[in-house]
Amino acid sequence: MIRLIVHLALAAPAVILALAWQRQALGVDFQKALIFESGIWTFNLLLVVLALPWAARWAHWPELLRYRRAIGLWTFAYASTHFSFFFSFLLGWDFARLAEEIAERPYVLLGFGAWLVLLALAATSTRATMRRLGRNWKRLHTAVYLALALVAVHYLLMIRSDWAWPVSYAVLALVLLALRLRRAVPART
Amino acid sequence: MARTTDETTYRRRRFIAGALGLGTLGTFSALRYGDGVVAAKEDDTVTVAKTTQDPPLLNSAGARLTTKYAATHYNNAYEFGWDKTDPYRESGAFQLRPWAVTFDGLCARPGTFDLDDLMGMPFSHLEERVYDFRCVEAWSMVIPYNGRPLSDILRVVEPLASARYVAFTSVLRPDQMPGQVSAFSTLGWPYVEALTLEEAMHPLTFATFGVYGDQALPQNGMPLRITVPWKYGFKSPKFIVRITFTEERPKATWHHENSREYGWYSNVYPEISHPRWSQASERRIWGEGDIERIPSRPYNGYGKQVAHLYPGAAQQYR
Repeated sequence: MIRLIVHLALAAPAVILALAWQRQALGVDFQKALIFESGIWTFNLLLVVLALPWAARWAHWPELLRYRRAIGLWTFAYASTHFSFFFSFLLGWDFARLAEEIAERPYVLLGFGAWLVLLALAATSTRATMRRLGRNWKRLHTAVYLALALVAVHYLLMIRSDWAWPVSYAVLALVLLALRLRRAVPART
Repeated sequence: MARTTDETTYRRRRFIAGALGLGTLGTFSALRYGDGVVAAKEDDTVTVAKTTQDPPLLNSAGARLTTKYAATHYNNAYEFGWDKTDPYRESGAFQLRPWAVTFDGLCARPGTFDLDDLMGMPFSHLEERVYDFRCVEAWSMVIPYNGRPLSDILRVVEPLASARYVAFTSVLRPDQMPGQVSAFSTLGWPYVEALTLEEAMHPLTFATFGVYGDQALPQNGMPLRITVPWKYGFKSPKFIVRITFTEERPKATWHHENSREYGWYSNVYPEISHPRWSQASERRIWGEGDIERIPSRPYNGYGKQVAHLYPGAAQQYR
């Protein structure tokens, strides 16, 4: 029951966005809106999944950690949607141009790098790989912090003149990174 | 871990559950698109095609135009805010009249003129020109502009032989332009943009008093915008109150803010990338939900008329 609610909540932004798209409610430049919203929801969920252990410890509520994998996989789904929108709307699924953009533009490189990290984490998220990789699995999955850092800089590079939101997100990312560096995340009980 | 469900723990859990619940509910308002369209559809000033289902909007000569709705609801005017919807939403209080424009610097007859005198004729008698508008952000529109060649106006004040540049200063009205008081903007106000005198006197450079036959559109830079169709859109300054002739190259706002990304000339050159994105192609916005990717052209397609102004390598005129 709770698991179902969690999944519905995680799907909500995508559903709302899809409905708005279908109703042509995304404004004149719906492509930019879709790229922006899918990107910002990737960032939101990344922050939630990394804040979860701290919330669980603070409230003595280890059950919260059961939903880490679900949130992580949804994060990857939003990231993939974001990447697909970018690839389709801005590059027209042209692989040569994608390679060019990755080579020439730091913000594309960082975004693509973050997506690769999330891809690797999603691909190794099954119980079977967890067992197979043993302690290395934990080591591999701290790379989620690398994804967070890449995403934060990726967003900062979008600034044209107004910096309030990108900087706020970067500060939240820094707080989570600092917490992680000061003390290892509390182990799952 | 001890399973103490004491009072504190209980309150903390409720707090987290509440925060997650609110976060979920918040998505509905955070996605600002819930009722955007409903409001737009009720906008009685909009009588032109808005969606792909409607037939394309054509001008009298048969050229396809961007819908008026798209061109007036998707604008960059940082004076009103950084979001593309801010200009139409935040410009309601903007006073379009009275409006005076001051001419100064290196000209024989400096002075201040009323906007209606600069128009020189009733608004409805002004020339209509359809120009491709190309934003530095790699989107474009096709827009009918109402106005007259800027050179007609500049000649009246008689620029001196020593004048080499023309600076255009936008209005400073923090009380009517919320973007001018935003603490989160790095731009300095008022906005200043500049051209060489040769560019300013070019017959394509257009003193614009309206678009789509409508002069009440502050989001599009009215009551007076200078339209320079072969350059990126930010070189077409809005809300002009001062025109200054100089010998030295004037400081231009975006160039001054970030010269690496915004060149002083900023002619449209598809082969010269913006540091963060390619300029090789553009997204042509025809209307809501109607966007087409097309290749960009040197000088935005006006090369035949203007290329002679820029001898030598294009790189000098980025």
